Amino acid sequence: MHCKELESVLEVEGLGQLSKDTRLHVATCGECQGLLADLNSITAAAKTLPAEVNPPDRIWISLRAQLEAEGLIKESVGVSEKTSWWESFVAAWMPRTFAAVTAAALVLAAAVYVKRVPQNGGSDSAKKQTPVENSRPAQTQVAAVPPVSVLPANAAPAQGSVPAKTKELAPSPSESASFTLNQAELDVPNMQLAGNSQVDASLRQNLRTLNAFIAECELRLKQNPQDELAREYLYTAYQQKADLLAAMMESGRGDN
Amino acid sequence: MCAASVIPGTTLGATRRIRPISSGAATGQLARQRPAQPVALTEAEAIRLAQAGNAAAFEFLYQLHGRRVYALCLRMVGNPADAEDLMQEAFLQLFRKIGTFRGESAFSTWLHRMTVNVVLMRLRKKSLPTDSLEETLEPDAENSAPKRDVGAPDLRLTGAVDRVNLERCIEKLPPGYRTVFVLHDVQGYEHNEIAGIMGCSVGNSKSQLHKARTRLRELLQEELRQQAREERKAAKSPTGSLD
Repeated sequence: MHCKELESVLEVEGLGQLSKDTRLHVATCGECQGLLADLNSITAAAKTLPAEVNPPDRIWISLRAQLEAEGLIKESVGVSEKTSWWESFVAAWMPRTFAAVTAAALVLAAAVYVKRVPQNGGSDSAKKQTPVENSRPAQTQVAAVPPVSVLPANAAPAQGSVPAKTKELAPSPSESASFTLNQAELDVPNMQLAGNSQVDASLRQNLRTLNAFIAECELRLKQNPQDELAREYLYTAYQQKADLLAAMMESGRGDN
Repeated sequence: MCAASVIPGTTLGATRRIRPISSGAATGQLARQRPAQPVALTEAEAIRLAQAGNAAAFEFLYQLHGRRVYALCLRMVGNPADAEDLMQEAFLQLFRKIGTFRGESAFSTWLHRMTVNVVLMRLRKKSLPTDSLEETLEPDAENSAPKRDVGAPDLRLTGAVDRVNLERCIEKLPPGYRTVFVLHDVQGYEHNEIAGIMGCSVGNSKSQLHKARTRLRELLQEELRQQAREERKAAKSPTGSLD
């Protein structure tokens, strides 16, 4: 066998099992040995390159919007399934330990809300959410405050909080929800004067992350008010923010 | 060359999720609000649902194949911005035509074929008229193999092929060689699959792969020579003066 013949063999058979003739030639030809060794090095290095790379989440968001615009999505499934980034987002900063604190925090959030929201009659929304809120006129900005309203009836409250009713988040303007939460957020630093622990730092970081996420959703909704996906994410994010603020207030009260 | 996600918790190389349903106690609160989920979704079922216009099915298929498609696009064009455009275009074409999918080939093969076509079309548009996109599918006698310069000493690559150099050299390959090399050596497709993706014969796929590897060898050797020259120059002129 000659060197040129080896080329032909490699072209047809690849780098796998070489025939006896081929191996005999390679054993006596330094150049072909070098060729084989280099090609094997290249393939070995290629195998270390990632075969998969996570695409940015905006691709799916944009793709889905395009599919909806073209009418290719015929059944509205809503956001019944978690998308990877949402699931990752919740899993990233909603550790399981929050589950026990959340129920008590929700009651606290409701109490804070009662104090924060002015007593003027707002739009006729909806539904009373908890006994605490039941003491107030139903026309207040109840719909704007998510936390208690979205717990399903079979939730297990940790500290005797009253089970709330499942509520469909009314498509009321997100601005009112955002306003209410932002007002509550203003209270947090005051109540966290002594809050310098790692937990508090973590909570503050979580809040920053959540605010960035909310801003992104609001921007998307502003660009496309029909974006149901962004709307659902936004309302869920408001929920989570309310929970987080409640937890931060709880922490602040304890410290103070 | 790796894209970073802006959403916390999403990392490169994360395990591919198969199921689109939520899970875990951390998401239990939200999960309880949602309507009942299918326990699991097979690709075939997702295709059927997507053909009926089901949004979740679309997303399932996107999640199932998106990482590999994006990796292919990224390696073919070398920059994330173009790769994102191409990936979106590929999936858009896929979902527009999903009603025509009859299962005669594997769905991933069909998707990758669209992706390769979209990418090559983009590269053709970008290339100058004089640039050759040959060395793609047709065996060309003049380009039948990168010439081995028998007289010149070859630098041995064993132990000297690092990822950065390799990725840089992959970008320099002609599109056809690049496609086959990425599909086979990086993503692990077999020649019969590549033949389906690229619409060529198995023999052609093998030939293109060998040519790609040989060309890469040349490029890597040149890369090493260049680095050696620069090191020698730096060693000779520690003060930075030119020779």
